[in-house]
Amino acid sequence: MDQLTKISAPQRTQQLPAAKRSVWRQIAKQKYAHLFVLTGMLFILVFNYLPMFGILMAFKDYSISSGIKGIFTSDWVGLKYFKEFVGAYNFKLIVTNTLAISLLKLFFTFPLPILLAIMFNEVRSKFFKRFAQTVSYFPHFISWIVVSGLLVIFLSTNSGIVNDLLKGLGLIENSLPFLSSPNYFWGLAVTTAMWKEAGWWTIIFLAAISGLSPALYDAAEMDGAGRLRRIWHITLPGIRGTIVVVLIMAIGSLLGGGLVGSNFEQSYLLGNAMNNERSEILQTYAFKMGLAQGRYAYATAIDLLQSIIAIILVFGSNYISKKITKNGLF
Amino acid sequence: MHRRTVEDRIFDTVNISLLVIITLITMYPFYYLIIISFNNGLDSSLGGIYFWPREFTLNNYEKFLSDPKWIKSFGVSVLRTVVGASITIFFTCLTAYGLAYRNLMFQKAYFSFFIVAMYTSGGLIPYYVVLRSLGLLNTFWVYVVPGAVTIFFLIIAVSFFREIPAEMEESARIDGASDLTIFFKMILPVSKPLMAAMGLFIGVGQWNSWVDSAYFVNKDSLRTLTYRMMEIINQGMIPTDMASAERAAAVTGVTTFSIQVTAMVIAVIPILLVYPFLQKYFVQGIMIGSVKG
Repeated sequence: MDQLTKISAPQRTQQLPAAKRSVWRQIAKQKYAHLFVLTGMLFILVFNYLPMFGILMAFKDYSISSGIKGIFTSDWVGLKYFKEFVGAYNFKLIVTNTLAISLLKLFFTFPLPILLAIMFNEVRSKFFKRFAQTVSYFPHFISWIVVSGLLVIFLSTNSGIVNDLLKGLGLIENSLPFLSSPNYFWGLAVTTAMWKEAGWWTIIFLAAISGLSPALYDAAEMDGAGRLRRIWHITLPGIRGTIVVVLIMAIGSLLGGGLVGSNFEQSYLLGNAMNNERSEILQTYAFKMGLAQGRYAYATAIDLLQSIIAIILVFGSNYISKKITKNGLF
Repeated sequence: MHRRTVEDRIFDTVNISLLVIITLITMYPFYYLIIISFNNGLDSSLGGIYFWPREFTLNNYEKFLSDPKWIKSFGVSVLRTVVGASITIFFTCLTAYGLAYRNLMFQKAYFSFFIVAMYTSGGLIPYYVVLRSLGLLNTFWVYVVPGAVTIFFLIIAVSFFREIPAEMEESARIDGASDLTIFFKMILPVSKPLMAAMGLFIGVGQWNSWVDSAYFVNKDSLRTLTYRMMEIINQGMIPTDMASAERAAAVTGVTTFSIQVTAMVIAVIPILLVYPFLQKYFVQGIMIGSVKG
């Protein structure tokens, strides 16, 4: 190690005058590095930045036949499409569903990985601990399509296992129409999200817990603190910082589905004509209006509305978090 | 030192029991899929199968493997997974190597360019318009080109490349190697762990993806496996709705429902196979990702 620093130190001082050489000579010397970066930038420019200009469409009379150029050349219509959406008969329903599904998911799914991580951490058998963890991550890697398919199979009114089980336990007499009644949709969305992603998010909390000093636990045990007290007074306060950061991230991505996967995919896959009044959200509505019906400008306006709500949520939660815990993302 | 108290015993019992239940709830649905895929489809629609296939058959798999529609979409999924992961690994690593270059001019500006793009987007419709103008709609390339540089992995790759000792590159440079040679002959070969992690995450993403197949493609020959499953789910695959299909399938016992279940098993198997390898890397992946938000 000593030798390494001795060798590299003089080389570093030799590089210093290089900065004083003309800019062009240095760029020429690094030409491949710049070329590599520019190649990557090209992709991002085309597929990330170019669509951002497309937001203009929300305020314009855009028609798809005018292509990209039309984003700039078509006529301004101001807030016409926003007004149209706000006046739409299902505006309230869609906004309610979007916010309700997101907030319910946050409320029910956020504490779960923390709880699971603590439970895993308290398991003494190394083998069982690793096995249970490995199993709990697995659904994260499975497509929402397969998860929705599973749900359809398990909740079927005819031969679905869940209805069989509830009947077998004598809790219900007739099968519950889980998938065809609006009353169940919010519950389904939250439960499947919990099932699919809770295990995955334990990773981050387990890592935070493993960073805590064992000495703290030993000291607490000496003082006669039992398991629950140690969890309450050492584990939880110890991972508070992680919890806050993850919470802000969760709120930031709330409308997209938060940490627990895609609101869009759930609503699109499990939504149907019968449960529409509870399953239609901003994204599915924008999709139907935009790509399915070809109302591009209108759909962009709805998308933009969602982005604005999301930005308010991120900055709002960050602000509140800073006030309360002096801890924030930015 | 660690004497087990009564509280300890109660705590452990409750904790382990709950975890066993959670583990079973997580595993059972996949187990159930497998037994149904090996059961006669007509018989499955009667319900009541919980632990073992009641009428064991391989007909579902035979039907699946002889149906060109399913095989073709399986092929599309495999192809996009392999090609997509390769392209993304290559371009993301190339860009990252450039960004990780020591004393690179404009480095700060380059970074801001990528970070801003990570946090903002134009939404679905403008994105669609761009793809349309580039002529990517209804081509295989729409699956792989737009994601060729993934900013999340770009940041991971940059920090990985910075860990590579500078002496390695410098000695190569003294021997007269150019940046291109160094990237292809030295950096890529020593970056296998990075590329494995990227390949697995991107591969799983590609394999599971169906939204792009639904949005940007309407050619039947370009449909992915997951898209086909979505089609059936949307038609409502509740067994009772399959009466007519079942009559047609009376001979083989294969129903739309049992084919769907078989397709689901086939969609899960590749993930199950790479899962043991994936495991080593995903903890690292999620940690870096969560730090960057």
